[in-house]
Amino acid sequence: GGYMQSPGGFGSPAGTQAEKKQRIRSQNIVPCTVSQLLAAEQVDETFRIHDVEISQVTVMGIIRHAEKAPTNILYKVDDMTAAPMDVRQWVDTDEAGGENVVVPPGTYVKVAGHLRSFQNKKSLVAFKIMPLENMNEFTTHILEIVNAHMIIRKNLLSASRVPQSFSSTGIGDMGGYGGGSSLPVNGLTAHQSQVLNLIKNCPVPEGMSLQELKAQLHNMSMPTIKQAVEFLSSEGHIYSTVDDDHYKSTDAE
Amino acid sequence: MGDVHEVPRRRIATGHLAQNIGKPVCFVGRVEKIHPTGKFFVLSDGEGKHTTVELNEPLDEEISGVIEVVGRVTNQATIMCMSYVQFREDKSPFDLELYNEALKIIHEFRDYFPFG
Repeated sequence: GGYMQSPGGFGSPAGTQAEKKQRIRSQNIVPCTVSQLLAAEQVDETFRIHDVEISQVTVMGIIRHAEKAPTNILYKVDDMTAAPMDVRQWVDTDEAGGENVVVPPGTYVKVAGHLRSFQNKKSLVAFKIMPLENMNEFTTHILEIVNAHMIIRKNLLSASRVPQSFSSTGIGDMGGYGGGSSLPVNGLTAHQSQVLNLIKNCPVPEGMSLQELKAQLHNMSMPTIKQAVEFLSSEGHIYSTVDDDHYKSTDAE
Repeated sequence: MGDVHEVPRRRIATGHLAQNIGKPVCFVGRVEKIHPTGKFFVLSDGEGKHTTVELNEPLDEEISGVIEVVGRVTNQATIMCMSYVQFREDKSPFDLELYNEALKIIHEFRDYFPFG
């Protein structure tokens, strides 16, 4: 699945640029493990993971326990990373039937909700609980958790404070997994950045040739280099000069 | 022994049994065979490697397809099962090989998928 992206600018009173930069907020729904939610730090009314404010989260796990009360259903959802977490779903007491169906224990579900803490105990208030019909979604969720939390950590470390989308296409752009940091930063993968930097720093008028790139980039195969060059060229970072084997950077250095 | 469902249970494949002796784990695999006594069964992981799962009480139902077992790894590198659940495959088959690849990632990037 994808993530809900709330539009930038909540209509809150405008702070100064500096104040805005202090508060790195995730505007998306962040997929998390129960263990990550339990470890989230609470500062006043907000929760932080890796120093990024989180509020809306998704978890996937199996229902261990379900208890129906007049106004809410209390589930215990277990994703194996910690003890099962309390998930409360408020029930619309005016609605008959449909909304108030309790999901039975032993069912794998996807929960979307808000993190809460009361008397030092964390729980979720769910606005959506959906049984999984396709267990491959669970595998995807595991990968999306790693992806999202890596991006959160990278955003924190990089100069850019712009919240990024946590969609899995971020990792999908990679030509094969393996070797070096494969996460895109500023839109370029590590391989693409390396190739671009070499081309940028080449002083020769006809630019850098593919052979020269191969000679300098010991860790990259020629097909990988060609892939990077093709991408950079189509994005407008570089252009070919005397022939298709020579490239210069479009950036005036 | 304590309730193994209240603690973190690392998701593992057959290759990880040796490093997790005595620890609570979660193992997902396909049913290969069930012993006639119903007291143990064999699951294969996403790489086709087999793990033996032992039960305190014999199975009281037929199991098949993909099973997720929660239990503790014994000294013999089998899993003593505390509970199990069958993954539903009525709408789509479960890609066990892909799950195995995901395990490699969560083990490599344990900072971003913490157990406990």
